[in-house]
Amino acid sequence: MAILEVKNLTHTYSENSAFINDAVSDVSFTVEKGEIIGIIGHTGSGKSTLVQHLNGLLKPTVGTVLFEDTDIWEKPKEIRKIRSKVGLVFQYPEYQLFEETVFKDICFGPKNMGLSGDELKERVLEICKIVGVREEYFQKSPFDLSGGEKRRVAIAGVMAMRPEVIVFDEPTAGLDPSGRENVMQIIKDYREATGATVIIISHSMEDMASLVDKILVMNKGRLYMFDTVENVFSKKEELESIGLNVPIVTRVFLELKRKGIDIDTNVFTVQRAIEVLNSLKEGNGNA
Amino acid sequence: MNNLIEIKNVTYEYTEEDSVYAAVKDLSLDIEKGSFTVILGHNGSGKSTLAKLINGLNKPTFGDVIVDGINTKDEETELTVKRKVGMVFQNPDNQLIASVVEEDVAFGPENLGLEPQEIRLRVDEALKAVDMYEFRKSTPHRLSGGQKQRIAIAGIIAMEPECLVLDEPTAMLDPKGRAEIINTLLKLNREKGITVVLITHYMEEAEKADRVVVMNDGVIIDDGVPKEIFKNVEKLKAVGLDVPQTTELLYELHKNGFNINTNVISIEEAADEIISALHLEEH
Amino acid sequence: MLKDITFGQYYDCKSLLHRLDARIKIILMIIFIVFIFISKNIFSLLFAAMSVFAITIISRVPFKLYLKNMKAILPVLIFTAVINIFYGDGGKVLVHFWVIEITTAGLYRSFFMALRILLLIFISSALTYTTTPNDLTDAIESLLSPLKFIGLKSAVHTLAMMMTIALRFIPTLIEEAEKIMNAQKARGADLESGGLLDRIKALIPILIPLLMSAVRRAYELAEAMECRCYNGGEGKTRMKQMHLKKADLFSFIVVALMCGSIVALNILL
Repeated sequence: MAILEVKNLTHTYSENSAFINDAVSDVSFTVEKGEIIGIIGHTGSGKSTLVQHLNGLLKPTVGTVLFEDTDIWEKPKEIRKIRSKVGLVFQYPEYQLFEETVFKDICFGPKNMGLSGDELKERVLEICKIVGVREEYFQKSPFDLSGGEKRRVAIAGVMAMRPEVIVFDEPTAGLDPSGRENVMQIIKDYREATGATVIIISHSMEDMASLVDKILVMNKGRLYMFDTVENVFSKKEELESIGLNVPIVTRVFLELKRKGIDIDTNVFTVQRAIEVLNSLKEGNGNA
Repeated sequence: MNNLIEIKNVTYEYTEEDSVYAAVKDLSLDIEKGSFTVILGHNGSGKSTLAKLINGLNKPTFGDVIVDGINTKDEETELTVKRKVGMVFQNPDNQLIASVVEEDVAFGPENLGLEPQEIRLRVDEALKAVDMYEFRKSTPHRLSGGQKQRIAIAGIIAMEPECLVLDEPTAMLDPKGRAEIINTLLKLNREKGITVVLITHYMEEAEKADRVVVMNDGVIIDDGVPKEIFKNVEKLKAVGLDVPQTTELLYELHKNGFNINTNVISIEEAADEIISALHLEEH
Repeated sequence: MLKDITFGQYYDCKSLLHRLDARIKIILMIIFIVFIFISKNIFSLLFAAMSVFAITIISRVPFKLYLKNMKAILPVLIFTAVINIFYGDGGKVLVHFWVIEITTAGLYRSFFMALRILLLIFISSALTYTTTPNDLTDAIESLLSPLKFIGLKSAVHTLAMMMTIALRFIPTLIEEAEKIMNAQKARGADLESGGLLDRIKALIPILIPLLMSAVRRAYELAEAMECRCYNGGEGKTRMKQMHLKKADLFSFIVVALMCGSIVALNILL
């Protein structure tokens, strides 16, 4: 079942705007319930503008966005309701923290939805458990946490609204390896616990390959490709022509092929690479 | 050996909520003139503190830091040390002062009290060195992250420092911006002989360095040429560092019983290693 | 929306006015404004208006940009005009109602005031449209430099540094405010409805992160400035030297002639 449908979406900015290079033109695609979608593209390809339409932060200049078959702008006055259904985690979300305590900050979203009392508390405790915000942090000031922990709390703040679709704009930007791993784990855990549909903008082809079902490629404001990981990453030349690339492990296999080895190059993760090479080794008969 | 920077048994302590912590513990390190050194470590490993110790922004609690023969503790020569060791930080937005590129680059030389013609010369040269000369009249606000960071680098090299210390300059950039910065640094090191100390948690950026120093918990745990350091994948992972996917692949193959070297990073080398390990025939 | 604000109204093109030294432009503007307010009769004021009109043409800035600035100040203009109507003494009484009396002198006076303010806006727009914010900052610092001799040296430098940093960071902070606003809206924040108190309360989730970010930026910027050998302006030189050119002298003469004409018209007619 389609949960989100974007039809002929065009967004142009006013001439003076600093975002003028991030416009979107005539983009259409459908997201099925429960899918994980990756969005890749250059800085300024329109990715950030595109995702801000999914929860009604931006209104399409032309075109429509449907959530469960209903135009989200059908009743413009009620646009705020869509924001708890389609959660959006911005780049560097820790810069939106503002409350005195971690717990209060995570409450902000659900409170805006109208939750209160025990229901609110239950909701927040539940999400803290899923994303691993420990109880000893609840009464701390969010400003006293380390960078990685701040981001965890900020992401929890969006997840606490229990969105059915959650969109991340470069969720791991600026973090060190363990921080990046933690964020990826939070996303997986939330999905497992709620069955939510996930959309991730990322520059890391390696993360994309190991996480997502389908990849949407943006270039100069237009939808360049929208297909399975396998189909997208098998088009190295086309991706390179728009300044993108395939995962490093895939490039190693393409290099093997170039050197004349007869090998399957549809390898996008290290795990798959080991399998392929292991079977090749056995087939070759040498230990 | 000609050492530009000598760090001798340095400990750096700071106080937080009445407790004293040591960010750097009894650390010694010499940086050779003209070298390209990468310091790897996860957040909180003490690498940023070390960077600020080198140019005197932080003063050692114990021990000494000697820059080109000058002790950074000496207050009279504080400015000389800052001129000799230029520093570039993570967030490009927060180091640009003027709203016109060339005026920003001129800020350092102006503070040094140079003649106007000399400043003009240095500004133009610095902007050309980072390939941003054509943007000299632009406003930084409208540039990309990578471009802004290159302006920040130009602002430092216009002061003609002996050494550039960069504290995670690529952490906030996209892959394109990251590549721009690394190429700029390599060029400055090779062509102008500027000593570079690059602090990062991206191991790929260490590939072309002369030397890699790995830090964890305020001390140096490894020090050597890149290939030697990258051999020990387990040790790097244990201190929260990520290895490039090529290294990861070879390491996993090694674990799976392949007789293979793990100390390569480039795709071509990795492919060669796989071919020889599998005794495959190249057709 | 916040992002539609274009800060620093510089209009980039090449004209005689763009080429003039910013210091000269500031001085001439002040002199000219003084003479606009000195012009007593309709002839001298109309002459001043014609001169200002000529200046806007020389600036090569589209006239609609001047009108845009005028529109912004229109409420003030109307208010001044209306107030002045009632302040006129003498002349023929046109309307008399209760204590309110509108006379020809009042109308005359109101027209004069409105035209003066209009000219003031046009002439100051001509300055900001043809001078980059940086040149303006440098010129103000240079013009204030005599204060250095009465022990205000660091104050003058600090003021100039503050203006430079403000110019650099205002667009950055506007963009940041926009981002934070969107992030809180994505968490369901309601910024558009409710009473005054609700709206003020709704600003807290935006203002606190913005303030935190400004403090963080300030701290990092201070460190970066220290690394670039900033020492409070002691012994600082400047890359760009300001030189007076022939055009500057020429403009001085033209403005002197204009002012002379205003005085002459004041006396003769």
